[in-house]
Amino acid sequence: MKRRLAVAGTLALGAALALPASALAHGLVGKQDLPIPRWLFAWAATVVLVVSFVALAALWPRPRLEHVKERRVWTAPVALEVLCGALGIAAFAVTIWAGFSGTQTATANLIPTVVYVVFWVGIPFTTLLLGNVFGAFNPWRALARGVAWLASRGGSETPAPLPYPKWLGRWPAALTILLFAWVELVYVNRDDPTQLAIMALLYAGIQLVGMTLYGIEPWTRNADGFSVYFRLFSMLSPLHWRDRTLYTRPPLSGAPTLDAGPGTVPLLCVMIGTVSFDGLSQGSLWTGTGGIAPDLQQRFINLGFSGEVALEIAFTIGLLFMVGLVSGVYRLGVLGMHSVRAGYSTTSLSRRFVHSLIPIALAYVIAHYFSLFVYQGQAMAFLVSDPLGDGSDFFGTATATINYNVIGANGVWYVQVFALVLGHACGLTLAHDRALVVYQRVRDATRSQYWMLAVMVAFTSLGLWLLSAAAQ
Amino acid sequence: MIAPPLAHLGHWYHSLLYLAPVLIVVVVLWIQERRERGREADEDE
Repeated sequence: MKRRLAVAGTLALGAALALPASALAHGLVGKQDLPIPRWLFAWAATVVLVVSFVALAALWPRPRLEHVKERRVWTAPVALEVLCGALGIAAFAVTIWAGFSGTQTATANLIPTVVYVVFWVGIPFTTLLLGNVFGAFNPWRALARGVAWLASRGGSETPAPLPYPKWLGRWPAALTILLFAWVELVYVNRDDPTQLAIMALLYAGIQLVGMTLYGIEPWTRNADGFSVYFRLFSMLSPLHWRDRTLYTRPPLSGAPTLDAGPGTVPLLCVMIGTVSFDGLSQGSLWTGTGGIAPDLQQRFINLGFSGEVALEIAFTIGLLFMVGLVSGVYRLGVLGMHSVRAGYSTTSLSRRFVHSLIPIALAYVIAHYFSLFVYQGQAMAFLVSDPLGDGSDFFGTATATINYNVIGANGVWYVQVFALVLGHACGLTLAHDRALVVYQRVRDATRSQYWMLAVMVAFTSLGLWLLSAAAQ
Repeated sequence: MIAPPLAHLGHWYHSLLYLAPVLIVVVVLWIQERRERGREADEDE
């Protein structure tokens, strides 16, 4: 059994890494001039993780992150909460307006940059530092709460919401993130402002219906994909917002509080897998001459599909493959843990340790989108002044430009490597801390984490391999 | 026409350098796990 497991693990990890080299190149500028070959960073990262593992085993004998005391800092006034909600609704309205009424040139319209840079990348970065700020600005939640407040003031009796189905868990959130990634990475009209506006309105409409049926908070906590996505990242933050009150806590200590119900493991795997595919899809192995995508595309063209649809099918297969690969590697880690000592089912172990994937998901986001955020994020300076791209200059910044010298290629690479290594070390720490709770003996806990160490090393090498291809 | 993987060896062989540390860690941990399992069995006896 163990031998089969080891062989299967080796093969899966091999498949994860022996795929052709590719990369991420979101706005990467200049050529890297690194003092050592890029692959050596993967070796160095492995050494760091192994040393971290040994240090945890020797110096971390009791769980320290499971039950920490939070310190209350400040309670925000109701007016501030209302203001944030109103700002969120206003920003959403302006973005939709730009999508419908503005130029259909993606780079000159506000909506693509807001959706793919500010919303998708900027909020996770902000969340890590400031806690779950999206909860305060969430436009559809603010709208629903406003309507509920008005209804209660008007004295009208609103029917009690249905209980949120337990079996459904976070599956809607996993599906949301997968669909968003599909639009971002596969859909050929991903930058079309009007289509983005329609999709945003559709999403908001679905959320309003869901909140009406199942209640605002249960729906937001489980089914609103973006709320769930940002809330997961906020669990790593040292700042915790709860009922308008701000608390401080040790970094990472929010992650063990994750209630990993149905759909949570798939959600985390989707988060990591889709970003991995983003990296893969930008490398020559995927798109270059003789790459996988052109080959797949040709096969589907031969079946009678148009070139565009065939390309989308090829990319969809790649996207799902990477999600499956990440799920498989995590599953192998869980199977390995399961072999250490009976008593917990693999499903139970999978959920108990899934919070250790949160820092990895964030590390992948930082590593893959840091340059996009740093470069394309600057475009907001002129886009807010001219959101429609019609020559307006509301704030006098319409002539601002993107400074591509703000950070060089080497700087971007070091940030990426640092984020990946730190993220995986944090994942290792969370898994070790949980193992000390799950397994009674420290020895068993450490043994169980051999497998998680292998998972972390695999994810780190995969991430660096994807990044290195982009830089070539 | 699909090119056999070896035809593009130059494009992907360096990927193995990223795979190597993973394989090394997996093999070492597997051996270590076997040793500990054996030690545990001895203690039980």
